[in-house]
Amino acid sequence: MTLQREKRKYSWGMVVDVDKCTGCQACVLACQAENNVPLNLQDRFERARVMSWIRVERYWEGEFPDIKARFIPIMCQHCENAPCEPVCPVFATYHNNEGLNVQVYNRCVGTRYCANGCPYIVRFFNYWEPVWPEAFRNHLNPDVTVRSRGIMEKCSFCIQRIRRGVRNAERENRDVVDGEIQTACTQACPTDALVFGNFMDEDSKVSKMKKDDRHYTLLPHLETDPNVVYLAKIDTDKSAGESHG
Amino acid sequence: MQQRRTIDQIHTNRVLLNGQLDTPKWWAPTVITLGIIVAIGFFMIGIMVNKGLGVTGLSRPVYWGLFITTFVFWVGISHAGIMISAILRLSQAEWRRPVTRAAELLTVFSLLTALMFPLMHAGRPWRIIYYILPYDFARGIMPNVRSPLIWDPVAISTYLTGSTLFLYIALLPDLGNLRDRTTGWQNALYTILSLGWRGNPRQWKLQTVGGILLSALMLPIFVSVHSIVSWDFAVTPAVEGWHSTIFAPYFVIGAVHSGVSAVVTMMALMRWLWKWEDFIRPEHFDALARLLIVVATGWLAFTFLELIFAVYGLDAPELALRELQIFQWPWNILFITFVITGYIIPVGMWLQKSVRNNIALMFWSSLFVNIGMWLERFLIIVPGLARRTPFVYTWESYRPSGLEWFILFWSLAWVTFLMLLFSRFFPLVPLFEQKESETFSDSIKIGRVKVPAIVREAD
Amino acid sequence: MKLSRREFLALGAKATAGTMIFAACGLPERELIVQSPIDMPEDLVRGEDAWYATTWPDMPGGDGLIVRVMQGRAKKIAGNPDHPVNLGKQSARHDAAIQLTYHPDRISEPMLRQSKGGLYDPISWQRAEQLLQSAVEAGKDNLSVVTNPLGGHLEWVAINFAALNGGRHIKYDPTEQGVMQDAIKFVYDQEDPPYYDISNAKTILSVGADWLSTWQSSVGYSVRYGDFRSKGERGYLIHAESRMSMTAANADLWLPVMPGYEGHLAMSIAHVIVDERLTGSGEISRFFNQIPTASLVGFRPEDVEERVGVSAERIRKAARHFAENRPSLAFAGGSAGGHTNGQFNIAATHALNTLVGAVGSDGGVKYNPLPTLDGLSGRCSGDSFSDWEVELAQWRGGNVQTVIIRGADIVHGMPNSVDVVGALVGVPTVIGFGSVMNDTLANCDLILPEKTFLETWGTTIPDPAPGYEVVTIQQPVIGDTELFGGGGLISDARGFGDELLRLADGGLGADDMEELVNISIDQLYDLNRGSVSAPDKRLFKQGVLQRGGWWDTQATAETPSDHAPPNVFDLDSTVNYSSTDGLGAGNDFHLVPFLSNSLYEGRLSATPFAVQNPDPMSSAAWTTWAEINAQEAEHLGIREGDVLFIKSEHGEIEALAYPTPGGRPGVIGVPIGLGHEYGGRYDEGLGANVFKILAPRVEAASGSLAWAATRVRVERSGRKRELPKFEGEVTAFPVEPGVPVLVVAPGESAHDAEVANHHKYQQNFLLPDKSEATEEGSGGGH
Ligand SMILES: Nc1nc2c(c(=O)[nH]1)N[C@H]1C(S)=C(S)[C@@H](COP(=O)(O)OP(=O)(O)OC[C@H]3O[C@@H](n4cnc5c(=O)[nH]c(N)nc54)[C@H](O)[C@@H]3O)O[C@H]1N2
Ligand code: SF4
Ligand code: SF4
Ligand code: SF4
Ligand code: SF4
Ligand code: SF4
Repeated sequence: MTLQREKRKYSWGMVVDVDKCTGCQACVLACQAENNVPLNLQDRFERARVMSWIRVERYWEGEFPDIKARFIPIMCQHCENAPCEPVCPVFATYHNNEGLNVQVYNRCVGTRYCANGCPYIVRFFNYWEPVWPEAFRNHLNPDVTVRSRGIMEKCSFCIQRIRRGVRNAERENRDVVDGEIQTACTQACPTDALVFGNFMDEDSKVSKMKKDDRHYTLLPHLETDPNVVYLAKIDTDKSAGESHG
Repeated sequence: MQQRRTIDQIHTNRVLLNGQLDTPKWWAPTVITLGIIVAIGFFMIGIMVNKGLGVTGLSRPVYWGLFITTFVFWVGISHAGIMISAILRLSQAEWRRPVTRAAELLTVFSLLTALMFPLMHAGRPWRIIYYILPYDFARGIMPNVRSPLIWDPVAISTYLTGSTLFLYIALLPDLGNLRDRTTGWQNALYTILSLGWRGNPRQWKLQTVGGILLSALMLPIFVSVHSIVSWDFAVTPAVEGWHSTIFAPYFVIGAVHSGVSAVVTMMALMRWLWKWEDFIRPEHFDALARLLIVVATGWLAFTFLELIFAVYGLDAPELALRELQIFQWPWNILFITFVITGYIIPVGMWLQKSVRNNIALMFWSSLFVNIGMWLERFLIIVPGLARRTPFVYTWESYRPSGLEWFILFWSLAWVTFLMLLFSRFFPLVPLFEQKESETFSDSIKIGRVKVPAIVREAD
Repeated sequence: MKLSRREFLALGAKATAGTMIFAACGLPERELIVQSPIDMPEDLVRGEDAWYATTWPDMPGGDGLIVRVMQGRAKKIAGNPDHPVNLGKQSARHDAAIQLTYHPDRISEPMLRQSKGGLYDPISWQRAEQLLQSAVEAGKDNLSVVTNPLGGHLEWVAINFAALNGGRHIKYDPTEQGVMQDAIKFVYDQEDPPYYDISNAKTILSVGADWLSTWQSSVGYSVRYGDFRSKGERGYLIHAESRMSMTAANADLWLPVMPGYEGHLAMSIAHVIVDERLTGSGEISRFFNQIPTASLVGFRPEDVEERVGVSAERIRKAARHFAENRPSLAFAGGSAGGHTNGQFNIAATHALNTLVGAVGSDGGVKYNPLPTLDGLSGRCSGDSFSDWEVELAQWRGGNVQTVIIRGADIVHGMPNSVDVVGALVGVPTVIGFGSVMNDTLANCDLILPEKTFLETWGTTIPDPAPGYEVVTIQQPVIGDTELFGGGGLISDARGFGDELLRLADGGLGADDMEELVNISIDQLYDLNRGSVSAPDKRLFKQGVLQRGGWWDTQATAETPSDHAPPNVFDLDSTVNYSSTDGLGAGNDFHLVPFLSNSLYEGRLSATPFAVQNPDPMSSAAWTTWAEINAQEAEHLGIREGDVLFIKSEHGEIEALAYPTPGGRPGVIGVPIGLGHEYGGRYDEGLGANVFKILAPRVEAASGSLAWAATRVRVERSGRKRELPKFEGEVTAFPVEPGVPVLVVAPGESAHDAEVANHHKYQQNFLLPDKSEATEEGSGGGH
């Protein structure tokens, strides 16, 4: 059984300040490089099979010249109450004791049911065997499994980095220090729109940011209780109480 | 009350066993043609397993498409058997007798076919058994019983086991009959299969009791199977258009609609192909059409209730989905076709007595129903995925690949192939049922003439 | 104890990883702790990873990088958290760059062409070096060395090698940095670009420069943009650009200026500030010190709105915000400089800084000090287009014997009107260094496989610097890479700098790049100041390598706070209006090419990582698309995926239509970066090269190519293709307010905004009564 939040030592989470995201896509490629996400060849775009554990969605509002573009990075929300988990017939996706929605590639049989269950559309199916030209295999991250075809994958909160960080801390007989563990995307993000940390640590940056008045979660009516918290976009052209976008 | 002529038992035997004892000329070429299509289909499935699901048209939001649609379609068709055999048997509707065997057969073969779809459609089909069967107690890793994908195989395999037993029990007297009429290897085969059937009173009693018991047992399974299939969708709160509380009865009644229609199609074919005009008669079509009018109308009510419940909430993604489903090209064409072929044309036709008694028209109207019912499943499954969330950025359409269409086509050929193959070795119309109905038959007086008539529902 | 170079690197690496962690814990004093020899990261077989600090001289900005290396393979590139320019952050380009080293089509050995236009034969390095030597000897006094803008030691070597052999070094830069440099010189009398203190500004007015995506030090700027948005009161960004670029998309106020009228817009903003007395009289008089008061006449917003293409109301709004919410900062570049009046556009915008007292103050413009080391500059500008035309004429005329090219894809990057291939034919020996094939290498007589930045020594001087002196060190983080399963090296490459130094035979004071870098590190040690202090040279070098460079936060430049801008109208007044090239009637569109967010000008087009990274605005990849205003497209019957002919007087290209609600009517935006005739397996023949159809107009003052001053005709070809893009089939307007991007007013809480959205949403369905009843329920608009 998954530990209740209160009983955990670490409960990993992310805070995304939508107001700071510029849409630069640095997080997208950093994640791809870190996690051996397969190359998205041209047909993957044409057939809507792009795999991108984190994606930056761009929404429009209004019409020229009063047009606004809004960027929002979306990755697995690591829901405490994840709709993807109960539907998986083989427990290939489950919740661990640090608040992560974990994907066990080895068990996955590729029903894609979890992907239908995920309201955030952050699960990606390997329709083809990911092929890395011989030379590119040099830069594959040895800490991360290279997936085969027919299975599901998604943002893992860079679990390999979490493991390394926790192990180092344990070896030195201390707790993980806030900021010590960075996911590839938070490490890359130039504006610090993405911040990663431990929600159990009251003094961590994420815990403090979560208290911001602007905090909200995606699709709260589904009660998924995500571990990714967003801070709303600020628009100076908007007045309070007026509806927007 | 229908007029008909009296059929003696010798004639019954000769005509109904013509498939086995005197194979029609069209049989071999048809079976070979179908066999080729079936072989190509298996080859296509092989390609898909070998190369990966990239060969389909599935994409990121549309993870399920033609295959799951067709899976639901065949599970729906499978509801014919129990509807005809069990329910009508328990309610003592005598006109069911000549069609029970074929209906049960359709159940068994369509279930077998349906089961193949989720298997071949998995990313790593070769691992499914390995992971889903609860064999690995050592590591304590059991299948996830919260997942409808575990309930599905449980329900379907129970249904399949029950139906097969049911079919077999009903087949015993006819197997004995065949054993007595064949020589050589056929005789040997039928000897084994007939399990020593001698037709003594004790055997008849057991056979009848077994049939009735199984009928009663199968009824809850019948309801559960399509309910469970519907829960594959209904338990998914994230997908607008799937997450609906009326799905279970809606799917069950839809399944009856399509299943019984498929039986009508099949009856027409049997009458034409084996020239069983004496056994499969207009009054059978008439009775099924009346039943279908009720079923179809009930089903239509659910269809519209589902839409109304959905739209009532004025939930933006739900509205966007319904807008797509009903008004946008090409979904609008599919939607209109579905309503017209699934209800308006067939029910409109069945309301005419002349149609109900016209085999050709019944054949075509029942085909229409199943085109409509396939589209219904497609329209439930795919648009919901294509356009279901507030993340407009991810909305994508679905274009099934040629391979998917072929495998859909293959499944039709495969079921027909199995049926024809079966018909070569076993009678499609149960001889004993036919004879029993002769025994129960009544005669009525029309003017001065006394004519034999079928025993209709206890009146 | 004498450490081998390998041991040395390993030491540096371990400590850098340590630095990362300890920087985060606020324990910088532990940075320089030397590892015990027992715990040497030499034992890589255990799977210990090492992060080495280095940099990539080919990208402007001079970002400090760290590279994760395991078992001799580079695994991941990330920003160096210690480095003052990018503070640990990176762009998508940095991650993609790793694939330049491990490219499956990396040039593996020297190749010689038998005749012009002929086939290539592989040759040995020994033979290649002989040929190189004789070509340089033959080209004595008739030699050109061509590179991209590099800065640092590599550029120093190229310049001095050319000089040593009586030749020229000429730089190719596809963008307008030359115009920038002239404009900065003109306005501030500075050689080096200034530092824009974005972090501390409260209002930024940027014109033309897509500084969050590709312009100058975009990663460094983005880091500071993060501060600008979140440090204290939230900053306000006004961005004027004719295309909705990534920066425009992030602006609070976008001024969709007509191409070429950026300077007019700036003057009009000045007009409002002066007219409405939005600033102190001191600032106004300083502004008019050199600019005649009369020059603002005729720049009332209402007078210019038509030609500038921005409503008077918007101009006034921008001016008021800019003047009233200080510190304010104005800068320009990018497409604003890509016009025949580019310098005027940039200078006029920069002049606004004086009006708001931004020169020399926090949150304003700060001058950068001169480079620390003699001869090592960071100037990332190239030679101008006019200079290039002269140079190419020399080549064509047979006046140049030998050309050595490195990093500059001039065949790809010059318009059709200049026949670069023809010019190359006129040169007896053209030698190209490179790691993956491109259009220029394919026209060389001798192709030499070049080591990538992960395999060589060097330095970069950030350009612009972050306000103080910085020297970034580049070190080889990996050695040669063996092919899997034997069969030799991925590439038997040599460093460009190393080869030139070898040819110079001691004439440049060092035998290889490492020695040159060592000399500079020793010079830095002798300065006895800055970020690394160590008791001896060896430890100093170690410290510099660990941190990825050397910087001195105290070594700033004096910025005069009483700066008065020169009269921008001094610039030839005829150029105050941009002249755009066209065929007259029918050339309805103004072509605005733009640097690709991940390919830059194409230097990453060989890497699939970059080619497949979705564009921020269109989400397209693997193709060249044309951004066109959605309504305009509808009017013209153009739909997404239509193959369009984009025709100028100088040629035509094909691009896939991408109608976008964010497009400025009359403007068509086309990304730069693809359209290589020759390349690796991923980019060869992919997309279209928009450079080719540019009109050969030049910026009046600097002679740079006016790359945003071409008018084109757009025609449908009748063909259609699926536009490879990430966004789905529906233009992404939210289906309900606030989902998924919740927008709040300043000071408004997310909860309040959600409730308001919820009410508004219900009202849309004419259910006013229900909105009362559900006051309690909040949630995401349900
Ligand atoms: N010094 C020392 N040497 C030993 C031993 C020892 O105790 N000490 N033990 C010996 C013993 S008992 C053994 S069994 C051997 C083991 O020696 P090896 O068989 O070499 O075992 P591994 O290195 O664990 O795995 C081999 C490779 O298989 C890859 N691999 C993992 N999963 C798959 C898969 O699904 N498909 C494919 N194709 N590859 C996969 C891994 O990435 C790895 O590169 O070592 C022997 N050698
Ligand atoms: S975001 Fe999707 S994949 Fe991630 S935990 Fe939630 S439901 Fe599962
Ligand atoms: S695709 Fe894999 S993880 Fe998802 S439900 Fe199926 S088996 Fe489980
Ligand atoms: S946390 Fe790691 S896995 Fe998840 S999106 Fe970021 S980089 Fe990718
Ligand atoms: S790296 Fe940061 S700023 Fe860039 S797109 Fe990702 S979240 Fe946004
Ligand atoms: S050895 Fe590893 S993969 Fe295998 S059961 Fe144990 S933990 Fe799981």
